[in-house]
Amino acid sequence: MSELPKRILSLLMVMGAQSPDRAMSIDDLAGKLGMGRSAVESELKSLIDAGYAKLVDESGTSAVYLTVTGIITASSTYS
Amino acid sequence: MRIFMLSWEYPPRIIGGLARHAEGLSKALASLGHEVHVVTLDFPGAPYEEAEVPLYVHRVAVELPAPTFHTWVLLFNHFFEKRVGQLAKKYGPPDIIHAHDWLTVPAGVASKHLMRVPLVMTFHSMESLRSSSSRSPESAMVGGLEWWGSYEAAKVIAVSEWMKSEVVSQFKVPPSKVVEIPNAVDMAKFEKPVDVEATRMKWNVQPGEKLITAVGRLTSQKGFDYLIRALAGVQKSIPDSKLLVVGDGYMRGELEALAKSEGVAARTTFTGFLSDGDLVDAIRSSDMVAVPSRFEPFGIIALEAMAAGVPVVVSNVGGLAEIVEDDVDGLVVDPNSPHSIAKATIRLLSDRAVASRLAARAKEKVKAYNWEHSAAKTLEVYEAAIGEARYE
Repeated sequence: MSELPKRILSLLMVMGAQSPDRAMSIDDLAGKLGMGRSAVESELKSLIDAGYAKLVDESGTSAVYLTVTGIITASSTYS
Repeated sequence: MRIFMLSWEYPPRIIGGLARHAEGLSKALASLGHEVHVVTLDFPGAPYEEAEVPLYVHRVAVELPAPTFHTWVLLFNHFFEKRVGQLAKKYGPPDIIHAHDWLTVPAGVASKHLMRVPLVMTFHSMESLRSSSSRSPESAMVGGLEWWGSYEAAKVIAVSEWMKSEVVSQFKVPPSKVVEIPNAVDMAKFEKPVDVEATRMKWNVQPGEKLITAVGRLTSQKGFDYLIRALAGVQKSIPDSKLLVVGDGYMRGELEALAKSEGVAARTTFTGFLSDGDLVDAIRSSDMVAVPSRFEPFGIIALEAMAAGVPVVVSNVGGLAEIVEDDVDGLVVDPNSPHSIAKATIRLLSDRAVASRLAARAKEKVKAYNWEHSAAKTLEVYEAAIGEARYE
């Protein structure tokens, strides 16, 4: 995995986006990464396809959170 | 004795061997009548409070956001400290605080001084081994916390003799302060009946095919890249062999690409994380388990395979070399060598007599690695720590 998807997984974990009710909006994620929304969306698609993250739609705003696999992967450097 | 066990992972939050260790040890201590409070991180679907008296599991939510992984670790330690304080008020102060790895050192040290209770720290691994070439500030912080834990702890536990020697030499800890207590395995879990045929079909392993299984976090440490390269060599002698890689991690994409470039993608299945039950089924349905780690402080998966009666091929590194004796209860191969891994794998898969002999000896040997024994030795360490604790 290259650095950007690792950063995204790690950021979602440390920001607490580990359940649907604590999902992080894509705009907020892009802002914290210092990146454009479209670049983040493209990277998120791969992470969602791989089962690491899930999208929710909160009143018309897309938000994302880590799945169980995503949490474990984001933690996998240490054990 | 009242024990506060601090671990960032505890089932169902299983990142690696640390979770299995924390669970096995806590349950064994509780079965001896000791009151064990595990303070750990929350996890989707797991209750915040769980009790099978005298074992209590307290899952802590990290209620504030953090900018990076390492600041997040420091932050969750504050929430651990808060929970420890609440538990001490409710149940009474502990006799021992037991922290596992650098991840819970800040909470362990703070709790020790606030409550004037001895701290014991277990080393499951070390930053210098994980990140030998890293000079990052984060790596320096992790190494610093490891040293701090070893300094503040009244007693230090290492999961293998090799780990003990690393702790003693790197942190200048007096050898008498460090006690080796190996990991253990729940034999009964690996002796339950398994529908081998159904499990193999689930992973698309056809009758007559040979199944090699590897389990672990998909990180460089685990050496799965060497195993995939070795599979290409194994295929030349045993074309009907297949590889099951159980686990997930940042290297998954890289390993999948490697399997393609080595021409073994069709013979390799990446399962992702499996539940405990599915993991046991997979191991017990395998013809062999490979543990090709670059380094391994212990290597609990080798014990699990041995308990399951499945022959093992392991790297000649760290704790693995202490568990497995070459050609007696497994095959030990050169680390970082696909050729050596392939050679041993071909031998195990093509000679059933050798495989059966090694598996039978391993199953006998592994009986000594039980949690009751580990708990008894850990209690001795607790008693010594209570006698030797200082609070300068």
